[in-house]
Amino acid sequence: MNNFKNLYQKFERFVSSAKFAVIIIFIFTVALIYGTFMESYHGADYANRLVYKSWWFMFLEFCMFLSIVMAVVVRLPMKKRLYGFYTVHAGLVIIFIGSFFTYINGIDGSIQLLPNNPSQKILINEDLLKVSYLKSNKVFTLELPYTSGAVNINKSLENIEVKTFLPFAENKLQWLPSNDQGRTHSGSYQLFNENMSQEFTMSLNPESDFKSIQKMGLLNLHYMPISLKDCFVKETKSGYILWNLNTGKCFTPEEKGLPVEKTDKGTNFIVMEFENKYLKFFPDFSPMPINDDLSKDSNSPIRVLSKNLFKDRPHLFLFGKQISYYKKISKRWVIKDISKDVVKLPWMGFKLRLLRHETALFPVEIPEEVIPIQDNNEIIKGGTKAVLINFAGKEYWVRSDSPLELSNGNESIRFALMNKEIKLPYQITLQKFVMNKNPGTNTPASFESFTQLLDGRGETTVLDNHIYMNNPLKYEDFTFYQSSYFQIGPENFGSVLSVNYDPGRFYKYLGSLLLVLGSIWHYLLNMRKKKRA
Amino acid sequence: MALPIKYEKEKESIIMKKMFLTLLLLLSCASVFANDCSSFKEDTPVLAGGREKPLFVLAKESIKFLTGKSKHNSESQLTTLCNIILNGQAKKEYKFPVLVEHFDTKKYLGLSEDTKYMNALELITKKDLIRSEIMRLKENNSYKKDLTKTFNRLQTFESLYEGKALTVFTKKHDHEENEYEWESIVNHFESHETITNALTQSKINYDNQKGTDYLLELTYVKSNIYSYSMLLVLIGIFLTVLSKNLKYGVIFSILTILLETTAITWRVLISGRAPITNMYETVMFSGYGALIIGLIILYFKRDKVFLLAGLAYNLLCLFMMMFANNMLSSSISPLVPVLRDNFWLSTHVTTIILSYAALALSWMIANITLFKLRFKKITQKEYNYYQQLTYTCIKVGIILLSAGIILGGVWADYSWGRFWGWDPKETWSLIVLLFYMIIVHGRYTSWINTHRFTLMSAGGFMLVMMAWFGVNYILASGLHSYGFSEGGAIFLGTFFLVQTVILIICAKQPELEKA
Repeated sequence: MNNFKNLYQKFERFVSSAKFAVIIIFIFTVALIYGTFMESYHGADYANRLVYKSWWFMFLEFCMFLSIVMAVVVRLPMKKRLYGFYTVHAGLVIIFIGSFFTYINGIDGSIQLLPNNPSQKILINEDLLKVSYLKSNKVFTLELPYTSGAVNINKSLENIEVKTFLPFAENKLQWLPSNDQGRTHSGSYQLFNENMSQEFTMSLNPESDFKSIQKMGLLNLHYMPISLKDCFVKETKSGYILWNLNTGKCFTPEEKGLPVEKTDKGTNFIVMEFENKYLKFFPDFSPMPINDDLSKDSNSPIRVLSKNLFKDRPHLFLFGKQISYYKKISKRWVIKDISKDVVKLPWMGFKLRLLRHETALFPVEIPEEVIPIQDNNEIIKGGTKAVLINFAGKEYWVRSDSPLELSNGNESIRFALMNKEIKLPYQITLQKFVMNKNPGTNTPASFESFTQLLDGRGETTVLDNHIYMNNPLKYEDFTFYQSSYFQIGPENFGSVLSVNYDPGRFYKYLGSLLLVLGSIWHYLLNMRKKKRA
Repeated sequence: MALPIKYEKEKESIIMKKMFLTLLLLLSCASVFANDCSSFKEDTPVLAGGREKPLFVLAKESIKFLTGKSKHNSESQLTTLCNIILNGQAKKEYKFPVLVEHFDTKKYLGLSEDTKYMNALELITKKDLIRSEIMRLKENNSYKKDLTKTFNRLQTFESLYEGKALTVFTKKHDHEENEYEWESIVNHFESHETITNALTQSKINYDNQKGTDYLLELTYVKSNIYSYSMLLVLIGIFLTVLSKNLKYGVIFSILTILLETTAITWRVLISGRAPITNMYETVMFSGYGALIIGLIILYFKRDKVFLLAGLAYNLLCLFMMMFANNMLSSSISPLVPVLRDNFWLSTHVTTIILSYAALALSWMIANITLFKLRFKKITQKEYNYYQQLTYTCIKVGIILLSAGIILGGVWADYSWGRFWGWDPKETWSLIVLLFYMIIVHGRYTSWINTHRFTLMSAGGFMLVMMAWFGVNYILASGLHSYGFSEGGAIFLGTFFLVQTVILIICAKQPELEKA
């Protein structure tokens, strides 16, 4: 017993000493410096996971707390000349308690608002794997750990094995050797105008993760066999092109003397003899020949394309190093070479640049663990998360940027990696989002959300709110402040509000007040002491 | 600095062009070309960069931004601006040097390493190339930043050359009543109105509708008020060092404060907000605050080192404001949305900057002490006395800094619903506070004696500089990320280096006499 008492006294003497305080403040300061560098290079989320919300940082904070408390305890009973000292340290203790409440019960999330679309969901920065069986309506969820690096989970969710979680991943583009003897090709491009830039990769190779048709806003992209480009510029009356998938050769109906005929209802059709078979095409409806029972014959190597279908909307055809589109003004198809220079497109000031073109390689995307990189407040690398699962003996990556759908034979199963959600007991609707600009410039002067809050509990409450920087909405326990926005269409914006609930607020204010008053008091007492001496 | 020879030759061609213009003026009076640079009056109001300002300020800022120098071909800024616009309107070949700084940018534009400028019209032909390269680069490294800057220069020049950047205050077209709006002068070229008439009419319209308050900025920019402050500070330092009587130093300090108060008030009147919204203004305010705090402490403690430290720090700040143009921009530009709250901005930022000013005094005094220790003989008693002087400033700094951090927390809580968010700017101010806490607590241990205390106080200001400049110039992220430039990193690096060298030289404590 005496031994124990001795040990405690030693502990008390050490923890309450100024030396312990100096050591712990020093380590804490170094940790903070480390944290700020991590934050600026790798983003707030990474820094939080790595430093500020990690167990060892919590432990440091606890040591600070202990040091402060013990420094007061050993100086009891109260002495008059230490009143300032007590107040300062009591203030700090209260701030720590307040922060602890915030940590335990506080909520720090965001809510996304689409115009005129009521929303109740707060997204919390914690990750969840959601598995939904679409037919039987079963849903399973698994909370994923709050870490900064890759972690092995090795847990089972029904008959799905969840293996590894990557909190920060990047889809790595890899070019693998293709074994189709150069029959297909793939390319990477940069599409840009004054406001945006987007890199995209397209491929005709069936093994590739990249598609041959893609939509980018209003622009439709079609990746085409190289050989087809010759037929694209040929002026034909019908506007049809036929080609052979196996040989890659293309021709127009006019060249082969194939007549374009009309059905009773006025639909165009072409009949062509190929390998002793008659193929019937309805070019305005399907690229494949149509069987007698009106089904599509996908086995036939011959395809047809009607250029007429692509005249109205922005359609861009890419043939690797050449591109083609319909020029409305001169009413003809143009072909341009982009292997050497940036090429101007006729839509919204877009320009296109070729980054890479391959015939012997094809592109795939695999999530890879990375340390995220932040730039201009945007995560430019490592912005996706991924989970490796084992389903029916095969491994798949579930990525946060696109859900995965698999079938177990009976029904489809949807895998989604998403944020944890909290449902508000009331709903918020964005009525209007306004971005004011500084006169004569494009720099934003303010972001403002006009919202309506509808609370149906008890007596129905409807509140109109105007939320902007430095003017948040406070309702019940939550504070909603304007944090971001996103563009949906021209002059049409959605708004992102940050949502906070801080149960420790009162303690933090009280502690802060004591801290400042206490330190002034402390110096005044010291001054008086010195004057007397 | 001497211009490359080919630009010297330009003078002649400009004179030629002027002659040509005059000739045209004589030949045709109704045409667009009926303009000459005498119609460009410095007191004409324009809308530029989101603010209404005198034409002279636009010219000064544009030429500085485009060439990196205050003047082009030693002609007045207004003349240069006029030449760009008139040549652009005449669609004439006009050679104007645009600054290109980064090595990789030069390489990308096909310039040789030792050229600093590129002809503006040639640069314009590479607009798409530069834009696509900027968008392609993902990492915001110094190359991308410089490309962006070059692109902005290109656009600034282009909009001047095309006349778009020049605005006039005119009656709204489809309104019967007297409603006015800013409009690009380009529209007036079509109606064959001369620039002279358009600008003159614009000034008349503006003066009638909104008054002549904008001219305040013209007198401010041309006043050289900071040069006069510098002169006063220098005389103050001189008298404080040489004279036994403190009175003269105090008089000149008070004169400096009065002049700087005028300057700051002037700026507040022009910008309509607290004078602490960008780096230039915080430097100005901290120098001002440090001199005031120095005088207040002097009143209580009667030691001239406070005055000397205050004056010396004020001088440093004035130096930075006048010569560190690459890092601190003196122009007044619109605020980012997050800072648009005058009450919190003035209380929170002012408190923090004043605390930095007090800590700057402690840094000055600590360094003065170290020099005395190294190069003069002082006794242990004197050394302890100097430590007390440093400590006094630190105490003031700590209280102001804690108050400032808490005020920031209250602002964050009020605006964003959270008291603390580990944002780099707030975390760094906490780091500074904690460091001085180490000093304060360390005094109660055997670890920190008088000498180490002085060394730490001198070195501690590096953390203040990191919190103040480093977060914006080196870390640059988070909600506080306003203002960023490469020059800042070089400045900070130099400061850290010099301070570290001083610490190393003074690291060893010499034997002191125990008086």
